[in-house]
Amino acid sequence: MRAQLRAELAKQRSTRTGLGLFATMLALVALAILLHALALPAHDLAGRDHQLTVLGRGELLGVLFAALFGAVSITAEYRHGTIRPTLLAMPRRGRIVSAKLAASALIGGAFGLAGCALAAAIGSAVLRARGIEIRLDAGDYVLLVAGGAVAGGLWAPIGVGVGAVIRNQLPALIGICAWLLFVEELLVGDVASVTKVGRFAPGAAAAAITGQQPGALLAPAVGLALLFAYASVAAVAGSLATTRRDVN
Amino acid sequence: MAGARGMAGEVGNPAPSGAGAAPVVSVRSLTKRYGDLVAVDEVTFSLTDGSVTGLLGPNGAGKTTTLRLLLGLVEPSAGEALVFGRRYRELDHPARRVGAVLESGDFHPGRSGRDHLRALALMADAGIPPRRVDEVLDLVGLAGPADRRVGTYSLGMRQRLGLAGALLGEPELLVLDEPANGLDPARIRWLRTFLRGFAERGGTVLVATHVLAEVAQIADQVIIVDGGRLAAAARLEQLSARGESLEDAYLELTARQAS
Repeated sequence: MRAQLRAELAKQRSTRTGLGLFATMLALVALAILLHALALPAHDLAGRDHQLTVLGRGELLGVLFAALFGAVSITAEYRHGTIRPTLLAMPRRGRIVSAKLAASALIGGAFGLAGCALAAAIGSAVLRARGIEIRLDAGDYVLLVAGGAVAGGLWAPIGVGVGAVIRNQLPALIGICAWLLFVEELLVGDVASVTKVGRFAPGAAAAAITGQQPGALLAPAVGLALLFAYASVAAVAGSLATTRRDVN
Repeated sequence: MAGARGMAGEVGNPAPSGAGAAPVVSVRSLTKRYGDLVAVDEVTFSLTDGSVTGLLGPNGAGKTTTLRLLLGLVEPSAGEALVFGRRYRELDHPARRVGAVLESGDFHPGRSGRDHLRALALMADAGIPPRRVDEVLDLVGLAGPADRRVGTYSLGMRQRLGLAGALLGEPELLVLDEPANGLDPARIRWLRTFLRGFAERGGTVLVATHVLAEVAQIADQVIIVDGGRLAAAARLEQLSARGESLEDAYLELTARQAS
Protein backbone atom coordinates (compact mmCIF):
# COMPACT_ATOMS: atom_id res chain seq x y z
CA MET A 1 0.00 0.00 0.00
CA ARG A 2 3.00 2.31 0.36
CA ALA A 3 3.13 3.00 -3.36
CA GLN A 4 -0.56 3.90 -3.38
CA LEU A 5 -0.11 6.16 -0.36
CA ARG A 6 2.72 7.96 -2.13
CA ALA A 7 0.56 8.25 -5.23
CA GLU A 8 -2.33 9.62 -3.18
CA LEU A 9 -0.12 12.22 -1.50
CA ALA A 10 1.30 13.16 -4.92
CA LYS A 11 -2.26 13.62 -6.17
CA GLN A 12 -3.12 15.84 -3.22
CA ARG A 13 -0.02 17.98 -3.74
CA SER A 14 -0.72 18.43 -7.42
CA THR A 15 -4.03 20.29 -7.14
CA ARG A 16 -5.00 23.36 -5.17
CA THR A 17 -8.06 21.73 -3.58
CA GLY A 18 -6.41 20.83 -0.28
CA LEU A 19 -4.72 24.19 0.10
CA GLY A 20 -7.98 25.97 -0.72
CA LEU A 21 -9.86 24.03 1.93
CA PHE A 22 -7.09 24.66 4.46
CA ALA A 23 -7.02 28.40 3.81
CA THR A 24 -10.81 28.63 3.98
CA MET A 25 -10.81 26.80 7.29
CA LEU A 26 -8.19 29.14 8.77
CA ALA A 27 -10.14 32.20 7.62
CA LEU A 28 -13.36 30.87 9.14
CA VAL A 29 -11.62 29.99 12.41
CA ALA A 30 -10.24 33.52 12.63
CA LEU A 31 -13.65 34.98 11.87
CA ALA A 32 -15.53 32.78 14.34
CA ILE A 33 -13.08 33.30 17.20
CA LEU A 34 -12.79 37.03 16.63
CA LEU A 35 -16.56 37.49 16.56
CA HIS A 36 -17.12 35.45 19.70
CA ALA A 37 -14.20 36.79 21.70
CA LEU A 38 -14.82 40.41 20.74
CA ALA A 39 -18.61 40.55 20.73
CA LEU A 40 -19.72 38.36 23.63
CA PRO A 41 -20.27 40.25 26.89
CA ALA A 42 -17.42 39.74 29.37
CA HIS A 43 -19.53 37.71 31.81
CA ASP A 44 -20.23 35.17 29.04
CA LEU A 45 -16.49 34.71 28.60
CA ALA A 46 -15.47 34.64 32.23
CA GLY A 47 -15.84 30.92 33.01
CA ARG A 48 -13.56 28.08 31.99
CA ASP A 49 -16.41 26.32 30.18
CA HIS A 50 -17.24 29.50 28.26
CA GLN A 51 -13.67 29.89 27.14
CA LEU A 52 -13.39 26.22 26.17
CA THR A 53 -16.57 26.51 24.11
CA VAL A 54 -15.35 29.59 22.24
CA LEU A 55 -11.97 28.06 21.45
CA GLY A 56 -13.80 24.85 20.54
CA ARG A 57 -15.06 26.55 17.38
CA GLY A 58 -11.58 25.82 16.08
CA GLU A 59 -12.17 22.12 16.68
CA LEU A 60 -15.56 22.18 14.92
CA LEU A 61 -14.17 23.91 11.86
CA GLY A 62 -11.05 21.74 11.84
CA VAL A 63 -13.14 18.59 11.97
CA LEU A 64 -15.60 19.89 9.37
CA PHE A 65 -12.91 20.74 6.85
CA ALA A 66 -11.00 17.53 7.55
CA ALA A 67 -14.19 15.61 6.74
CA LEU A 68 -14.79 17.68 3.60
CA PHE A 69 -11.20 17.06 2.53
CA GLY A 70 -11.63 13.31 3.00
CA ALA A 71 -14.90 13.29 1.08
CA VAL A 72 -13.44 15.35 -1.78
CA SER A 73 -10.42 13.05 -2.06
CA ILE A 74 -12.66 10.18 -3.15
CA THR A 75 -15.65 11.94 -4.75
CA ALA A 76 -13.31 13.97 -7.00
CA GLU A 77 -12.22 10.66 -8.53
CA TYR A 78 -15.79 9.94 -9.55
CA ARG A 79 -16.59 13.51 -10.49
CA HIS A 80 -13.64 13.88 -12.85
CA GLY A 81 -13.53 10.24 -13.94
CA THR A 82 -9.99 9.69 -12.64
CA ILE A 83 -11.35 6.67 -10.78
CA ARG A 84 -11.14 4.78 -14.10
CA PRO A 85 -7.41 5.27 -14.84
CA THR A 86 -6.75 4.85 -11.10
CA LEU A 87 -8.47 1.46 -10.97
CA LEU A 88 -6.90 0.39 -14.26
CA ALA A 89 -3.46 1.11 -12.84
CA MET A 90 -4.30 -0.53 -9.50
CA PRO A 91 -7.37 -2.76 -9.64
CA ARG A 92 -6.93 -3.88 -6.03
CA ARG A 93 -9.47 -1.39 -4.83
CA GLY A 94 -8.98 -2.01 -1.13
CA ARG A 95 -5.48 -0.56 -1.48
CA ILE A 96 -6.79 2.55 -3.19
CA VAL A 97 -9.27 3.18 -0.38
CA SER A 98 -6.70 2.38 2.32
CA ALA A 99 -4.30 4.89 0.79
CA LYS A 100 -7.01 7.53 0.76
CA LEU A 101 -7.92 6.77 4.37
CA ALA A 102 -4.31 7.04 5.48
CA ALA A 103 -3.53 10.17 3.47
CA SER A 104 -6.68 11.93 4.60
CA ALA A 105 -6.04 10.96 8.24
CA LEU A 106 -2.61 12.60 8.03
CA ILE A 107 -3.88 15.72 6.32
CA GLY A 108 -7.09 15.86 8.39
CA GLY A 109 -4.94 15.74 11.51
CA ALA A 110 -3.10 18.81 10.27
CA PHE A 111 -6.44 20.54 9.67
CA GLY A 112 -7.61 19.82 13.23
CA LEU A 113 -4.29 20.83 14.71
CA ALA A 114 -4.07 24.10 12.78
CA GLY A 115 -7.71 24.99 13.39
CA CYS A 116 -7.40 24.53 17.15
CA ALA A 117 -3.99 26.17 17.41
CA LEU A 118 -5.20 29.24 15.55
CA ALA A 119 -8.36 29.38 17.67
CA ALA A 120 -6.30 29.15 20.86
CA ALA A 121 -3.87 31.84 19.71
CA ILE A 122 -6.49 34.34 18.56
CA GLY A 123 -8.96 33.58 21.35
CA SER A 124 -6.52 33.99 24.21
CA ALA A 125 -4.96 37.11 22.67
CA VAL A 126 -8.36 38.80 22.36
CA LEU A 127 -9.46 37.80 25.85
CA ARG A 128 -6.24 39.10 27.29
CA ALA A 129 -6.61 42.35 25.35
CA ARG A 130 -10.09 42.78 26.82
CA GLY A 131 -8.72 42.24 30.30
CA ILE A 132 -10.64 38.98 30.80
CA GLU A 133 -8.79 36.53 32.98
CA ILE A 134 -7.91 33.31 31.17
CA ARG A 135 -9.16 30.30 33.08
CA LEU A 136 -7.45 27.69 30.94
CA ASP A 137 -4.19 26.09 31.97
CA ALA A 138 -1.48 24.55 29.82
CA GLY A 139 -3.18 21.16 30.04
CA ASP A 140 -6.37 22.61 28.57
CA TYR A 141 -4.46 24.06 25.64
CA VAL A 142 -2.59 20.82 25.00
CA LEU A 143 -5.83 18.84 25.13
CA LEU A 144 -7.49 21.30 22.74
CA VAL A 145 -4.72 21.29 20.14
CA ALA A 146 -3.68 17.63 20.38
CA GLY A 147 -7.31 16.56 20.66
CA GLY A 148 -8.13 18.70 17.64
CA ALA A 149 -5.42 16.94 15.63
CA VAL A 150 -6.74 13.51 16.62
CA ALA A 151 -10.35 14.53 15.96
CA GLY A 152 -9.44 15.87 12.50
CA GLY A 153 -7.39 12.76 11.82
CA LEU A 154 -10.42 10.58 12.56
CA TRP A 155 -13.07 12.71 10.90
CA ALA A 156 -11.21 12.84 7.56
CA PRO A 157 -11.50 9.04 7.13
CA ILE A 158 -15.18 9.38 8.05
CA GLY A 159 -15.39 11.83 5.13
CA VAL A 160 -13.66 9.27 2.87
CA GLY A 161 -16.18 6.63 3.93
CA VAL A 162 -19.16 8.91 3.33
CA GLY A 163 -17.74 9.95 -0.04
CA ALA A 164 -17.05 6.35 -1.08
CA VAL A 165 -20.60 5.33 -0.25
CA ILE A 166 -22.38 8.37 -1.75
CA ARG A 167 -19.88 8.92 -4.63
CA ASN A 168 -21.73 12.02 -5.85
CA GLN A 169 -19.67 14.95 -4.60
CA LEU A 170 -22.27 17.61 -3.90
CA PRO A 171 -24.64 15.44 -1.84
CA ALA A 172 -21.69 14.04 0.12
CA LEU A 173 -20.41 17.50 1.02
CA ILE A 174 -23.86 18.87 1.81
CA GLY A 175 -24.57 15.81 3.96
CA ILE A 176 -21.40 16.33 5.99
CA CYS A 177 -22.10 20.06 6.47
CA ALA A 178 -25.73 19.46 7.40
CA TRP A 179 -24.77 16.79 9.91
CA LEU A 180 -21.97 18.62 11.66
CA LEU A 181 -23.39 22.14 11.56
CA PHE A 182 -27.07 21.45 12.03
CA VAL A 183 -28.00 17.97 13.23
CA GLU A 184 -25.25 17.80 15.83
CA GLU A 185 -26.22 21.25 17.12
CA LEU A 186 -29.72 19.89 17.67
CA LEU A 187 -28.44 16.74 19.33
CA VAL A 188 -26.14 18.50 21.75
CA GLY A 189 -27.70 21.63 23.11
CA ASP A 190 -30.14 23.05 25.57
CA VAL A 191 -32.30 19.96 25.98
CA ALA A 192 -30.49 17.84 28.55
CA SER A 193 -32.39 14.65 27.73
CA VAL A 194 -31.46 14.93 24.05
CA THR A 195 -27.85 15.71 24.89
CA LYS A 196 -27.68 12.55 26.96
CA VAL A 197 -28.05 10.62 23.71
CA GLY A 198 -26.53 13.24 21.42
CA ARG A 199 -23.18 13.17 23.18
CA PHE A 200 -22.60 9.79 21.55
CA ALA A 201 -22.84 11.35 18.06
CA PRO A 202 -19.53 11.52 16.14
CA GLY A 203 -19.29 15.32 16.19
CA ALA A 204 -19.93 15.43 19.92
CA ALA A 205 -17.33 12.71 20.42
CA ALA A 206 -14.80 14.85 18.53
CA ALA A 207 -15.63 17.84 20.74
CA ALA A 208 -15.26 15.64 23.80
CA ILE A 209 -11.71 14.70 22.78
CA THR A 210 -10.72 18.37 23.02
CA GLY A 211 -12.23 18.67 26.51
CA GLN A 212 -15.22 20.83 25.65
CA GLN A 213 -18.37 20.95 27.83
CA PRO A 214 -16.91 18.57 30.43
CA GLY A 215 -20.28 18.30 32.17
CA ALA A 216 -22.40 17.42 29.16
CA LEU A 217 -20.04 15.56 26.84
CA LEU A 218 -18.10 12.33 27.32
CA ALA A 219 -14.68 12.22 28.90
CA PRO A 220 -11.88 12.83 26.32
CA ALA A 221 -10.65 9.23 26.34
CA VAL A 222 -14.16 7.86 25.90
CA GLY A 223 -14.80 10.33 23.09
CA LEU A 224 -11.59 9.19 21.43
CA ALA A 225 -12.53 5.51 21.62
CA LEU A 226 -16.01 6.24 20.27
CA LEU A 227 -14.79 8.41 17.40
CA PHE A 228 -12.23 5.75 16.51
CA ALA A 229 -15.09 3.24 16.30
CA TYR A 230 -17.06 5.59 14.02
CA ALA A 231 -14.02 6.08 11.79
CA SER A 232 -13.46 2.32 11.60
CA VAL A 233 -17.06 1.71 10.56
CA ALA A 234 -16.81 4.43 7.92
CA ALA A 235 -13.53 2.96 6.64
CA VAL A 236 -15.01 -0.51 6.30
CA ALA A 237 -18.17 0.82 4.65
CA GLY A 238 -16.10 2.87 2.21
CA SER A 239 -13.91 -0.10 1.35
CA LEU A 240 -16.86 -2.39 0.76
CA ALA A 241 -18.73 0.20 -1.30
CA THR A 242 -15.67 0.71 -3.49
CA THR A 243 -14.71 -2.93 -3.82
CA ARG A 244 -18.15 -4.37 -4.48
CA ARG A 245 -19.80 -1.81 -6.72
CA ASP A 246 -19.32 -1.35 -10.45
CA VAL A 247 -17.53 1.68 -11.81
CA ASN A 248 -19.03 2.85 -15.08
CA MET B 1 6.14 -11.59 -12.83
CA ALA B 2 4.53 -12.84 -15.99
CA GLY B 3 1.06 -14.19 -15.39
CA ALA B 4 -0.09 -17.70 -16.12
CA ARG B 5 0.03 -17.39 -19.83
CA GLY B 6 -1.80 -19.78 -22.06
CA MET B 7 -4.07 -22.63 -21.19
CA ALA B 8 -3.94 -26.39 -21.37
CA GLY B 9 -2.96 -27.46 -24.84
CA GLU B 10 -1.67 -24.06 -25.77
CA VAL B 11 1.33 -23.71 -23.54
CA GLY B 12 4.74 -23.47 -25.15
CA ASN B 13 3.52 -21.92 -28.32
CA PRO B 14 4.95 -18.43 -28.50
CA ALA B 15 3.97 -18.39 -32.11
CA PRO B 16 3.45 -15.28 -34.15
CA SER B 17 -0.13 -14.22 -34.59
CA GLY B 18 -2.62 -16.67 -35.84
CA ALA B 19 -4.22 -19.91 -34.86
CA GLY B 20 -2.63 -21.79 -31.99
CA ALA B 21 -1.44 -18.77 -30.00
CA ALA B 22 -2.90 -18.37 -26.52
CA PRO B 23 -5.61 -15.74 -26.62
CA VAL B 24 -4.68 -12.37 -25.17
CA VAL B 25 -8.33 -11.64 -24.61
CA SER B 26 -10.84 -14.38 -23.98
CA VAL B 27 -14.48 -13.45 -23.54
CA ARG B 28 -16.92 -16.29 -22.96
CA SER B 29 -20.72 -16.00 -22.69
CA LEU B 30 -20.17 -12.61 -21.15
CA THR B 31 -23.41 -11.17 -19.81
CA LYS B 32 -24.22 -8.00 -17.89
CA ARG B 33 -27.72 -7.19 -16.71
CA TYR B 34 -28.86 -3.95 -15.11
CA GLY B 35 -32.24 -4.87 -13.71
CA ASP B 36 -34.30 -5.81 -16.75
CA LEU B 37 -31.88 -4.31 -19.20
CA VAL B 38 -29.40 -6.73 -20.70
CA ALA B 39 -26.47 -4.54 -21.71
CA VAL B 40 -24.24 -7.42 -22.78
CA ASP B 41 -25.83 -10.71 -23.73
CA GLU B 42 -23.79 -13.92 -24.03
CA VAL B 43 -20.94 -12.34 -25.95
CA THR B 44 -18.04 -14.61 -26.87
CA PHE B 45 -14.84 -13.73 -28.71
CA SER B 46 -11.11 -13.99 -28.33
CA LEU B 47 -8.13 -11.99 -29.54
CA THR B 48 -4.67 -13.24 -30.33
CA ASP B 49 -1.49 -11.22 -30.18
CA GLY B 50 -0.22 -9.19 -33.07
CA SER B 51 -3.68 -8.13 -34.15
CA VAL B 52 -5.77 -4.99 -34.36
CA THR B 53 -9.48 -5.52 -33.75
CA GLY B 54 -12.27 -3.02 -34.25
CA LEU B 55 -15.18 -3.30 -31.83
CA LEU B 56 -18.16 -1.86 -33.65
CA GLY B 57 -21.82 -1.35 -32.94
CA PRO B 58 -24.53 1.30 -32.72
CA ASN B 59 -24.91 3.58 -29.70
CA GLY B 60 -26.00 1.54 -26.71
CA ALA B 61 -24.98 -1.73 -28.34
CA GLY B 62 -22.84 -2.79 -25.39
CA LYS B 63 -19.34 -1.84 -26.61
CA THR B 64 -18.51 0.35 -23.64
CA THR B 65 -19.91 -2.12 -21.11
CA THR B 66 -17.94 -4.93 -22.76
CA LEU B 67 -14.72 -2.96 -22.34
CA ARG B 68 -15.51 -2.15 -18.69
CA LEU B 69 -16.22 -5.83 -18.03
CA LEU B 70 -12.95 -6.79 -19.67
CA LEU B 71 -11.03 -4.30 -17.53
CA GLY B 72 -12.60 -5.28 -14.22
CA LEU B 73 -14.44 -2.03 -13.62
CA VAL B 74 -17.78 -3.80 -13.90
CA GLU B 75 -18.52 -7.30 -12.67
CA PRO B 76 -20.23 -9.67 -15.10
CA SER B 77 -23.67 -11.10 -14.28
CA ALA B 78 -22.59 -14.29 -16.02
CA GLY B 79 -19.76 -15.56 -18.16
CA GLU B 80 -16.20 -14.35 -17.99
CA ALA B 81 -13.79 -11.90 -19.52
CA LEU B 82 -10.12 -12.81 -19.24
CA VAL B 83 -6.97 -10.97 -20.23
CA PHE B 84 -3.84 -13.10 -20.48
CA GLY B 85 -5.86 -15.94 -18.98
CA ARG B 86 -6.89 -14.11 -15.83
CA ARG B 87 -9.49 -11.68 -14.62
CA TYR B 88 -8.13 -8.16 -14.91
CA ARG B 89 -8.43 -7.56 -11.18
CA GLU B 90 -6.22 -10.59 -10.57
CA LEU B 91 -3.35 -9.58 -12.83
CA ASP B 92 -0.14 -9.00 -10.91
CA HIS B 93 0.91 -5.77 -12.58
CA PRO B 94 -1.92 -4.87 -14.94
CA ALA B 95 -0.28 -1.63 -16.06
CA ARG B 96 2.61 -3.74 -17.40
CA ARG B 97 0.27 -5.83 -19.53
CA VAL B 98 -2.75 -3.73 -20.42
CA GLY B 99 -3.10 -0.06 -21.29
CA ALA B 100 -6.56 1.38 -21.69
CA VAL B 101 -8.33 4.65 -22.41
CA LEU B 102 -12.06 4.53 -21.80
CA GLU B 103 -13.09 8.19 -21.75
CA SER B 104 -11.31 11.18 -23.20
CA GLY B 105 -11.87 13.34 -20.14
CA ASP B 106 -10.74 11.27 -17.17
CA PHE B 107 -8.49 13.91 -15.65
CA HIS B 108 -8.63 16.36 -12.78
CA PRO B 109 -8.79 19.74 -14.55
CA GLY B 110 -6.57 21.34 -11.91
CA ARG B 111 -3.73 18.84 -12.25
CA SER B 112 -0.98 19.09 -14.85
CA GLY B 113 -0.59 16.39 -17.46
CA ARG B 114 2.78 15.44 -16.02
CA ASP B 115 1.45 15.17 -12.46
CA HIS B 116 -1.43 13.03 -13.69
CA LEU B 117 1.03 10.57 -15.25
CA ARG B 118 3.35 10.64 -12.23
CA ALA B 119 0.50 9.74 -9.89
CA LEU B 120 -0.59 6.91 -12.20
CA ALA B 121 2.96 5.55 -12.40
CA LEU B 122 3.21 5.52 -8.61
CA MET B 123 -0.27 4.05 -8.21
CA ALA B 124 0.54 1.15 -10.54
CA ASP B 125 3.37 0.04 -8.26
CA ALA B 126 4.88 -1.80 -11.20
CA GLY B 127 8.40 -0.43 -11.23
CA ILE B 128 7.65 2.25 -13.83
CA PRO B 129 10.69 4.56 -13.70
CA PRO B 130 10.08 8.33 -13.45
CA ARG B 131 11.73 8.94 -16.83
CA ARG B 132 9.03 6.84 -18.46
CA VAL B 133 6.64 9.75 -17.83
CA ASP B 134 8.82 11.98 -20.02
CA GLU B 135 9.10 9.27 -22.65
CA VAL B 136 5.36 8.85 -23.09
CA LEU B 137 4.83 12.63 -23.04
CA ASP B 138 7.37 12.90 -25.88
CA LEU B 139 5.77 10.01 -27.72
CA VAL B 140 2.31 11.62 -27.84
CA GLY B 141 3.71 15.10 -28.45
CA LEU B 142 2.75 16.62 -25.10
CA ALA B 143 6.21 17.41 -23.72
CA GLY B 144 5.59 21.15 -24.22
CA PRO B 145 2.25 21.57 -22.42
CA ALA B 146 2.97 18.82 -19.85
CA ASP B 147 3.17 21.25 -16.94
CA ARG B 148 -0.04 23.07 -17.80
CA ARG B 149 -3.27 22.22 -16.02
CA VAL B 150 -5.32 19.69 -17.98
CA GLY B 151 -8.26 22.10 -17.78
CA THR B 152 -6.50 24.18 -20.43
CA TYR B 153 -6.05 21.23 -22.84
CA SER B 154 -8.03 20.72 -26.03
CA LEU B 155 -9.97 17.50 -26.57
CA GLY B 156 -7.22 16.18 -28.81
CA MET B 157 -4.57 16.89 -26.17
CA ARG B 158 -6.61 15.09 -23.51
CA GLN B 159 -7.02 12.17 -25.86
CA ARG B 160 -3.24 12.01 -26.26
CA LEU B 161 -2.67 12.35 -22.52
CA GLY B 162 -5.00 9.40 -22.00
CA LEU B 163 -2.96 7.39 -24.50
CA ALA B 164 0.25 8.42 -22.73
CA GLY B 165 -1.19 7.06 -19.48
CA ALA B 166 -2.11 3.80 -21.18
CA LEU B 167 1.44 3.42 -22.50
CA LEU B 168 3.19 4.12 -19.18
CA GLY B 169 3.74 0.47 -18.32
CA GLU B 170 4.75 -0.58 -21.86
CA PRO B 171 1.74 -2.89 -22.10
CA GLU B 172 1.16 -5.77 -24.50
CA LEU B 173 -2.55 -5.07 -24.96
CA LEU B 174 -4.12 -1.70 -25.75
CA VAL B 175 -7.84 -1.16 -25.21
CA LEU B 176 -9.07 2.14 -26.60
CA ASP B 177 -12.54 3.68 -26.81
CA GLU B 178 -12.84 6.18 -29.69
CA PRO B 179 -9.13 7.10 -29.59
CA ALA B 180 -9.26 9.33 -32.67
CA ASN B 181 -12.00 11.54 -31.24
CA GLY B 182 -10.81 15.15 -31.33
CA LEU B 183 -7.49 14.40 -33.03
CA ASP B 184 -6.45 16.49 -36.02
CA PRO B 185 -5.73 14.69 -39.32
CA ALA B 186 -1.99 14.59 -38.71
CA ARG B 187 -2.50 13.02 -35.28
CA ILE B 188 -5.02 10.56 -36.66
CA ARG B 189 -2.45 9.40 -39.19
CA TRP B 190 0.17 9.21 -36.44
CA LEU B 191 -2.19 7.13 -34.27
CA ARG B 192 -2.96 4.79 -37.15
CA THR B 193 0.73 4.23 -37.82
CA PHE B 194 1.43 3.82 -34.13
CA LEU B 195 -1.28 1.21 -33.59
CA ARG B 196 -0.24 -0.76 -36.67
CA GLY B 197 3.36 -0.69 -35.48
CA PHE B 198 2.27 -1.74 -32.01
CA ALA B 199 0.54 -4.81 -33.45
CA GLU B 200 3.42 -5.60 -35.79
CA ARG B 201 5.76 -5.69 -32.80
CA GLY B 202 3.51 -8.38 -31.32
CA GLY B 203 1.09 -6.21 -29.38
CA THR B 204 -2.66 -6.54 -29.41
CA VAL B 205 -5.07 -3.67 -30.00
CA LEU B 206 -8.80 -3.53 -29.34
CA VAL B 207 -10.45 -0.32 -30.52
CA ALA B 208 -14.10 0.53 -30.01
CA THR B 209 -15.18 3.11 -32.54
CA HIS B 210 -17.84 4.40 -34.90
CA VAL B 211 -15.32 5.53 -37.48
CA LEU B 212 -15.54 2.66 -39.95
CA ALA B 213 -13.10 4.24 -42.39
CA GLU B 214 -10.40 4.12 -39.72
CA VAL B 215 -11.20 0.52 -38.89
CA ALA B 216 -11.05 -0.42 -42.56
CA GLN B 217 -7.51 0.99 -42.67
CA ILE B 218 -5.99 -0.50 -39.55
CA ALA B 219 -7.99 -3.48 -38.33
CA ASP B 220 -7.31 -7.13 -39.08
CA GLN B 221 -10.70 -8.15 -37.82
CA VAL B 222 -13.90 -6.68 -36.49
CA ILE B 223 -16.32 -7.62 -33.76
CA ILE B 224 -19.77 -6.18 -34.25
CA VAL B 225 -22.20 -6.01 -31.35
CA ASP B 226 -25.79 -4.93 -31.51
CA GLY B 227 -28.41 -4.90 -28.79
CA GLY B 228 -25.87 -6.47 -26.41
CA ARG B 229 -25.38 -9.48 -28.66
CA LEU B 230 -22.53 -10.47 -30.89
CA ALA B 231 -23.67 -9.76 -34.45
CA ALA B 232 -20.46 -10.74 -36.19
CA ALA B 233 -16.83 -11.54 -35.58
CA ALA B 234 -14.86 -11.79 -38.76
CA ARG B 235 -11.61 -10.94 -40.42
CA LEU B 236 -11.86 -7.80 -42.47
CA GLU B 237 -11.23 -9.61 -45.75
CA GLN B 238 -14.05 -12.04 -45.01
CA LEU B 239 -16.48 -9.16 -44.80
CA SER B 240 -15.18 -7.47 -47.92
CA ALA B 241 -14.98 -10.74 -49.83
CA ARG B 242 -18.65 -10.41 -50.56
CA GLY B 243 -17.78 -7.36 -52.60
CA GLU B 244 -19.27 -4.88 -50.23
CA SER B 245 -17.62 -2.19 -48.13
CA LEU B 246 -17.19 -2.48 -44.38
CA GLU B 247 -19.89 0.14 -44.02
CA ASP B 248 -22.35 -1.85 -46.12
CA ALA B 249 -21.61 -5.03 -44.19
CA TYR B 250 -21.88 -3.23 -40.86
CA LEU B 251 -25.22 -1.60 -41.68
CA GLU B 252 -26.61 -4.85 -42.99
CA LEU B 253 -25.53 -6.79 -39.89
CA THR B 254 -26.77 -4.25 -37.36
CA ALA B 255 -30.05 -3.69 -39.17
CA ARG B 256 -30.78 -7.40 -39.15
CA GLN B 257 -30.30 -7.61 -35.40
CA ALA B 258 -32.45 -4.57 -34.72
CA SER B 259 -35.47 -5.84 -36.62
